[in-house]
Amino acid sequence: MAVDISDPAFIETLKRRERAGQKPSYLRLAIAVVLLIAYLVPFYYLFVTVFKTTDEYLRSSVLDLPTSLAPFWDNVVQAWTLGGMGRASINSMSYAVLGAGLATALAAGAAYGLTRLKLRSANAWFMLIFAGTLFPFQMFLVPLFFGFQRTGLINTWAGMVLVYTAICIPFPLLVLRGSFGAIAREIDEAARIEGASEWRVFASMILPNAKGPLIALFLIQFTFVWNDLLFSSILAGSPEVRSIMVALQALQGTYSSTGPNVVVTASLISSVPTVVLFIFLRRYFMSGLQLGT
Amino acid sequence: MASVELKDFVKLYGDHVAIKGIDLHVEDGEFCVFVGPSGCGKSTLLRMIAGLETISHGDLTIGGRVVNDVPSRDRGIAMVFQSYALYPHMSVRDNLGFGMRIAGQDRAEIDRRREGAAEMLGLGPYMDRRPSELSGGQRQRVAIGRAMVREPEVFLFDEPLSNLDAKLRNQTRLEIKRLQQQLGATVIFVTHDQIEAMTLADKIVVLQDGLVAQTGAPLDVFERPRNLFVAGFIGAPAMNILPAEIGEGPVVRALGLEIPVEDGVFDLPLPGTSVTLGIRSEDIVPDGHGQRPQTGADVSGAVKFSEVLGNESLIFFDVGGVELVSRMQRPRPVRAGETLSFRIDGTRIHLFDTETETTLRRD
Repeated sequence: MAVDISDPAFIETLKRRERAGQKPSYLRLAIAVVLLIAYLVPFYYLFVTVFKTTDEYLRSSVLDLPTSLAPFWDNVVQAWTLGGMGRASINSMSYAVLGAGLATALAAGAAYGLTRLKLRSANAWFMLIFAGTLFPFQMFLVPLFFGFQRTGLINTWAGMVLVYTAICIPFPLLVLRGSFGAIAREIDEAARIEGASEWRVFASMILPNAKGPLIALFLIQFTFVWNDLLFSSILAGSPEVRSIMVALQALQGTYSSTGPNVVVTASLISSVPTVVLFIFLRRYFMSGLQLGT
Repeated sequence: MASVELKDFVKLYGDHVAIKGIDLHVEDGEFCVFVGPSGCGKSTLLRMIAGLETISHGDLTIGGRVVNDVPSRDRGIAMVFQSYALYPHMSVRDNLGFGMRIAGQDRAEIDRRREGAAEMLGLGPYMDRRPSELSGGQRQRVAIGRAMVREPEVFLFDEPLSNLDAKLRNQTRLEIKRLQQQLGATVIFVTHDQIEAMTLADKIVVLQDGLVAQTGAPLDVFERPRNLFVAGFIGAPAMNILPAEIGEGPVVRALGLEIPVEDGVFDLPLPGTSVTLGIRSEDIVPDGHGQRPQTGADVSGAVKFSEVLGNESLIFFDVGGVELVSRMQRPRPVRAGETLSFRIDGTRIHLFDTETETTLRRD
């Protein structure tokens, strides 16, 4: 044999040669480091600010390290009480869980209908639903506001759940239509022959095989609703129903006397649920919107 | 088990007529194979029997009961799909038990049937695995097991072997046949592979363009193809088909040869009439390889190329611009350009009407 692959020296030479082709470029590294710093500075600012008192914040440079960790709890308490964040968190959590959950569930039902039920003009229905996303939210905000006023839905919890559910349907529908379409039809045919009803096929075959996209979509929509300021500030400004983002806005408004350290702490608190949710569901989020079984 | 009867079957897709009027009877315990090229309607026919496609016209009777409007689950059928269609999110155990579970069978009965199928198919070690953790052959066995536990009256197979490699395909083919005999099951099996059809079937149904071209036992279809389509489709390599003319005698003239024809086998038209001659490759015997046919005609030609199969070789040779293929038993190496002599077996030729393409053989 001309090549002796049992010779370690020979393999080592090959390894060296393979590695030589992967040498890092220093220019690329330098650009990456600059970008990384630019990305991390706001986080640094956030983390040093939450440990400062208002006085300390005003006295020192914004990027200075805090003198003690102690002011953190005080900032949290202030943010929580002054901003009414307890009530706002509960409101936002219910909007996000129900809005994203209902929207994903309804989109799943619609995607099943569009891909499995041999509906007449299925494409037209899909286009109709999806057309809602083609226009900017601002365009229908004014009619929505007056509509809500007339129907008494303005400043109500049910009105917010309704509007978030409706807004959140088209995108999951777009994704799930593709995901469900990629599940082999023979799987539902096999289940039908075995006696499964339409509902059983949906619940026992389609949904479990699209678990990844369903969870990822829920997470995306949850984050959207949680972070929304536009709809909640226009349609639900009263303290009983306002969302966490509206509470945050009120805390840092023009006439607010709250220190920036408290406002930053409030922003940190408001980002906790989405971060926690991402950590728990990251497996599904990372696998993205593809089908995983 | 049960018999299956199709009467005046028609299937329309919009304006396209996919099935054009099919009558068929599959006996209780019979292994019936639908075979034909892509688009001939064989899978559509199977799906109509399964209840996955509506029946545009005609009656489907399973076990003496008309089931046109009966949903798939109540037709007493089980189906094995080409892609196996295993439930990817379930273990083998759950795949086997799903149908019984949703039918509300009691646990003991589910276990009994599941264990029975697992034992028969050797699935014991894989019961807790997901389909993605199984090889193609194992998946195939799970799919068959899932059909078995339903204890159906009729098994339907839709090209179940086409995703397996050649070796596994042969092995699984034998297993399916053995299983069918063991269970005494009525089986309808769809394939485009005529070797599968020949080896498995008690009855072959050759389909062409939405119609039955011929029905019969495998040897019957092979030896007495009713028309040119069946003659060309059944048998590998395909039958040599060439223009010919009836001569005096009775003989058939083709390739400048006079091939004697046996008396009483064909309804021969008048001498001078054009016909189509069919000769299978094994009936063109190279000199020195196999028994030389007594009745026949000698022909020689230049070899164009050969396919070596080990136990035999296929010799493609040229006679006056026409390419013929011969099967060489106990083969020797053959070079392109080499001239070989052959003898055509006159007792085994096929003759077809050139216009209608139907056989001239007397039944």
